[in-house]
Amino acid sequence: MSDKMTLQVLANHARAAAENMAYTLHRTAHSAFVKETQDFTVMVMDRLGDTFAVPMELGATWYPGLTYGRAIEMIDDYCPGDVAFTNDPYSGHVATHAPDTHLWKPVFHEGEVVAWTGGHIHNTDMGGAVPASLSRSLTEIHQEGLRFPPMKLVNEGVFDAQILRIMETNVRKPNLNIGDIKALVGALNTGERKVQAMLARFGRDGFLSGVAALKDQAEAQAREILRAIPDGEYSFADYADEDSDFANPCRLNLTLRIRGDSAELDFTGSDPQLGSSLNVPSGGDPRHTILMVGVYYVLYTLNPQLLLNTGITRPFTCIAPEGTVLNPVAPAAVGMRSLTCARLRSVIFGAFSQAVPERMPAAPAGNNCIVNVMTHDERSGQKIIAAVNPVVGGGGGMPDRDGTNGSGADAAYLRNTPIEITETEVPVEFVKYGLARDTGGAGRWRGGLATEMAFRVFAPDTRITARNRDRSRFRPWGVLGGRAAGLAEMVINPGTPDARQMGSADTAILQPGDVLSLRSAGGGGRGNPMEREAWRVALDVRRGQVSEEAARAEYGVVLKAGEVDEAATAKLRAEARVHEGHFHYGPERDTFEAQWSEAAYTRLTDILTALPVQWRFFVKTEIFRRMEGRVGAEGVSAAFDETCARFPDIPQPQATAEAAE
Amino acid sequence: MDGICAPADWKVGVDIGGTFMDFCALDTTSGRIASLKVLTTPDDPGAELLTGLDLLTEREGLDPACVTRFVHGTTVGINTILQRKGAKLALVTNEGFEDVIELARLAMPDMYSLFCHRAEPLVPRDRIFGVPARLRADGSEPLAPTPEAVREAVVQARGVGVEGIVVSFLHSWRNGAQETAVKAMIEAEAPDLFVFTSSEVWPVIREYERSSTTILNGYVHPRVAGYLEALENRLAGRGVPTKALLTKSNGGLMSAFEGRRDCVSMLLSGTASGVIGAAWLARQAGASQVLTLDIGGTSADFALIVDGEVQYGADERIGDFPLYIPSVSVSSIAIGGGSIASVDGHGVLRVGPESAGSTPGPACYGRGGTEPTVTDAMAVCGWLGQAEMAYGQLQIDRDLARAAVASLAEPMGRSVEETAEAILNIAVSEMFVEVEKLGSRAGVDLRDFTLMPFGGGGPMMGAFLARELGMSRVLAPRRPGVVSALGGLVADMRGDFLQTVFAGLDDSAVPQLRAAFDALRREGQAWLVAQGHDGAAQIRLSADMRYAGQSYEIETPLEPDWLSDPARMAAAFHGTHRQIYDFEDQNGAIEIVNLRLSAIGLTPKPDMAQESAVEAAPAVPARQVRVHLNGTRDIPLFERANLVPGAAFHGPAVVCQEDTTLAVPDGAAAHVDRHLNIHLEFAE
Repeated sequence: MSDKMTLQVLANHARAAAENMAYTLHRTAHSAFVKETQDFTVMVMDRLGDTFAVPMELGATWYPGLTYGRAIEMIDDYCPGDVAFTNDPYSGHVATHAPDTHLWKPVFHEGEVVAWTGGHIHNTDMGGAVPASLSRSLTEIHQEGLRFPPMKLVNEGVFDAQILRIMETNVRKPNLNIGDIKALVGALNTGERKVQAMLARFGRDGFLSGVAALKDQAEAQAREILRAIPDGEYSFADYADEDSDFANPCRLNLTLRIRGDSAELDFTGSDPQLGSSLNVPSGGDPRHTILMVGVYYVLYTLNPQLLLNTGITRPFTCIAPEGTVLNPVAPAAVGMRSLTCARLRSVIFGAFSQAVPERMPAAPAGNNCIVNVMTHDERSGQKIIAAVNPVVGGGGGMPDRDGTNGSGADAAYLRNTPIEITETEVPVEFVKYGLARDTGGAGRWRGGLATEMAFRVFAPDTRITARNRDRSRFRPWGVLGGRAAGLAEMVINPGTPDARQMGSADTAILQPGDVLSLRSAGGGGRGNPMEREAWRVALDVRRGQVSEEAARAEYGVVLKAGEVDEAATAKLRAEARVHEGHFHYGPERDTFEAQWSEAAYTRLTDILTALPVQWRFFVKTEIFRRMEGRVGAEGVSAAFDETCARFPDIPQPQATAEAAE
Repeated sequence: MDGICAPADWKVGVDIGGTFMDFCALDTTSGRIASLKVLTTPDDPGAELLTGLDLLTEREGLDPACVTRFVHGTTVGINTILQRKGAKLALVTNEGFEDVIELARLAMPDMYSLFCHRAEPLVPRDRIFGVPARLRADGSEPLAPTPEAVREAVVQARGVGVEGIVVSFLHSWRNGAQETAVKAMIEAEAPDLFVFTSSEVWPVIREYERSSTTILNGYVHPRVAGYLEALENRLAGRGVPTKALLTKSNGGLMSAFEGRRDCVSMLLSGTASGVIGAAWLARQAGASQVLTLDIGGTSADFALIVDGEVQYGADERIGDFPLYIPSVSVSSIAIGGGSIASVDGHGVLRVGPESAGSTPGPACYGRGGTEPTVTDAMAVCGWLGQAEMAYGQLQIDRDLARAAVASLAEPMGRSVEETAEAILNIAVSEMFVEVEKLGSRAGVDLRDFTLMPFGGGGPMMGAFLARELGMSRVLAPRRPGVVSALGGLVADMRGDFLQTVFAGLDDSAVPQLRAAFDALRREGQAWLVAQGHDGAAQIRLSADMRYAGQSYEIETPLEPDWLSDPARMAAAFHGTHRQIYDFEDQNGAIEIVNLRLSAIGLTPKPDMAQESAVEAAPAVPARQVRVHLNGTRDIPLFERANLVPGAAFHGPAVVCQEDTTLAVPDGAAAHVDRHLNIHLEFAE
């Protein structure tokens, strides 16, 4: 079956198995997280636990390169009918935060394990300090809910009642968890049946060699893509607005090294592990799927025929030093790692943008903000907790079209809820739901516009959470002369005397009559905006997507009664200054980097790397506290000296080095 | 009918596809059925109709004056959308919500691509006009639109030259009066523009889906109305005395006159009536669990018939846009006879998504196509080209097919025949993925089903797909090319009506439900009268219900007297929920979102001639032909016209007929029933 003439037949059967699993889970799950948000994955894996097929229409996009191998090995003696599980981010490095519960099941053929079916669901709550188990303010994994290291959940078809009892006792919505877990077990059973059908169709040897060929084929496709990318070293950094409640930026740094048909992603220079739950637990696996998600998008964009399986990860090696935000050591909290992951993706997009500028878009908005309302419904007398629409989007300008408005790129899997449904079920009234003018980065191809949503509430002490809010300080970047996009914003009572700008906050408390307005960032622009056809700019103005002032200021297009004034436009465009440099970041990042230069960060990284892990975030915070009036590497050194003077207990780098020897 | 027609009473079903217009004419006095295919005339839609009627007169002795029923299925609406040749529309909606159409439901296909994007909306943003206005979810109106604001929108819409205006306001599912008032203001200002409101087209909750459905209606309205008017004139000109009927997306019929305004109801006209026709044939043949497979040039359509019933859904897609009205559920995949095979940079053979379509079409059609298609692979393997096709209107040139497939075989270092077989295997496996998904979505085990292939390409690939799916039965109808046209002849009049109630299911909801039911029943009865239906009628009642907190409703059939008994309705919902989702929540609060009613005007079912059963006897092949199926071999070819009831044979074999070829794989036991269907059974 490794015959290339018939490989596509096996690939289709494998995908059908995965799609079947996804539909079974989606159809039978209980919680809104699984049914609506589709925060789940399913996969079919080979003997080693490497994923070889995923669904293409349902579920999240994160795990086609996931391997369960490490978790599988932590349990002995699998029998037919067994299902194992874990949700512990620090055992086996399959789960990446506590709500994500992963299950796997062996597929036997004549007494031998020939494949595995697996998948995850995001449980609504796993217990711990806060409802839903997620808050940026948490600082250690133990606050983030109950953890199960890899263990058997089902023994030869029978659920372990003790495990279920423990879970029921410790979580806030036990029925949802148990219902979803049973639905996932059903999906694994479906997958097992489909794999058995493949074994009957292709034979044991044909199946095994065919699956190996699928991984080889994906690897070959990935290598072909890499070969077409010029060899070289491409460096890029990007920042999340706030690293914790201390509100300093969180920097992710990548050096992408392309060598022939392989690549190295070196994340050295990224922040130390944080005293918040923004850490990404990769376990230092050089091919951990959570580090690779941005790569999947890049590869698939460069070749939409790409087979998505673990084969595509083989040409890549990630370096994420221990004790950093991308490889934290226990017990660092990890619940809100999805915010960091969004930034991680934009760092990868930025590096590839330099390597293949002609084939990559500008930055997408990169803030996949999920909004929840907790309020009181006067009509029913009940307390209500409900998800309102995600506020996302704006894709980056593409090589030959504008960025997608209000969604697109790495946010395309998120769905909204109809306003009519929300208003019927939740006591809120929408004031606006649409696109925000002048928020897409200007460019030959404009960035996608931001989403803007505003709603009024009616009950006192209505609590809003807007998880994953970001990009209120650092803009999605433009490329090749295109400009950075508009910033995200959260305002209470906009346009009134008591308007309150909420900065990067992700929670708010509202009183009766208050209006909360949320805006995402836009997508970055691509190419010189002065080269955008004037008629297109005029159309943008007619469509309310670009203002007449911005048409003039950003695009050099002068309109008279809605029509292009050709002469005035030509004159204005002739005088326009082109932005030099591959990226355009906007004034906020330029100002920040004037102080926090590359050299400053190199110095900071050196200082922190030399410290024991538990000191690093503390020292980072104290150095930031002392950077007022200081600049660059020398500024960092001076701030560090001052920190050491204030905290003489900080271990001296030499001392720690000697102690280690 | 008058005395002249005493010896004949013709019922004519006509369905138009991409390449052919199919005719199915039934003489009810004799039970004789005649079928015909005529090439379409894309430059003059409707002209092929007269050609077909002339041919029926010539060949079958049809007298247009004796046609007592004329049912038409047409793609004019859907093609208008796919080709984007519809009306220039404006949308008037709430200020602050002008982008609802563009944002849609946010999520989009191809979610792994950084270049994913949405289709350009049918109404671009510069023709969407926001008016200050607001309804609340309870139907109250805190802010009424002013005539001045509406007038301003109309002036601007006129300024950009629109032909019609679509009106869609938030919460008009609950209270249509606001839209009706705006419509009146627009009509006063611009009597020359047509206007549709979302609450009159389909008053369902969910602003994007309702608006999209209304836009689709307005977008196709001028072309559909023009086409239908011309159709009625042509028929009248030929002396056809009966009023034309149209097949609808819901599998029922309406008058062509109704279709001029209710355009959105006939967008899936032909595909839906295909499933209706298939269900009728299946019932005759005694099959109750059926997977239908209709393969055309560019796509394959699949549908499930469960316990003898066609399945309905409310969120079909037309091209890039949701159509949120009740429709026969049909899944589609872009693999058909015209799908092109290619070899990628790694030497892996693929099929599709590119298609040679009907122009230039497969290489073997000799119309200038050179790329190897699925149909060419069929010809190379010997399944095609053994006999005349499409009533003599197509010649298969197997040399051209070989040359096209050879262009792939050479670089792969394989024989032309091996390559052709591989192409067919891959095409079947592409369909396998989609059908497996359909089965899984519906929660059924396809191994319990019978596959019924129809359309031009269905019978060629159907049995192979059945094997891939582990299905052991195939049912090949006698006239697979005219199943959709036949579907029109056996369909009932059917109008669907909906009121969104959105209430908790308890005693307090009863008055509201009773009132809604009475209103729906009146609407339904009035609709049947308007269609000119004077025969027996039925009403079917159902409700879209869900557990509080869910956001997908499921349709639960109800009896009218249950409306006074919430416990009875709850029991029905729990049962339906368990059936679909494998669990129920006896303690869960239930919401009733929509009450729905279908008014069904029963039409007399044709009484087709059938042979009385005869003794089983081995069929006699016309000759042996050479095919490539796991190697080259000679297998028997049967002429379908000579296969009488009781005839039996074994695969591999090929069965030729005017409009298609049935490929019978190894291991199949075939027999012909008294309706002339061929049944294939595979031993497990």
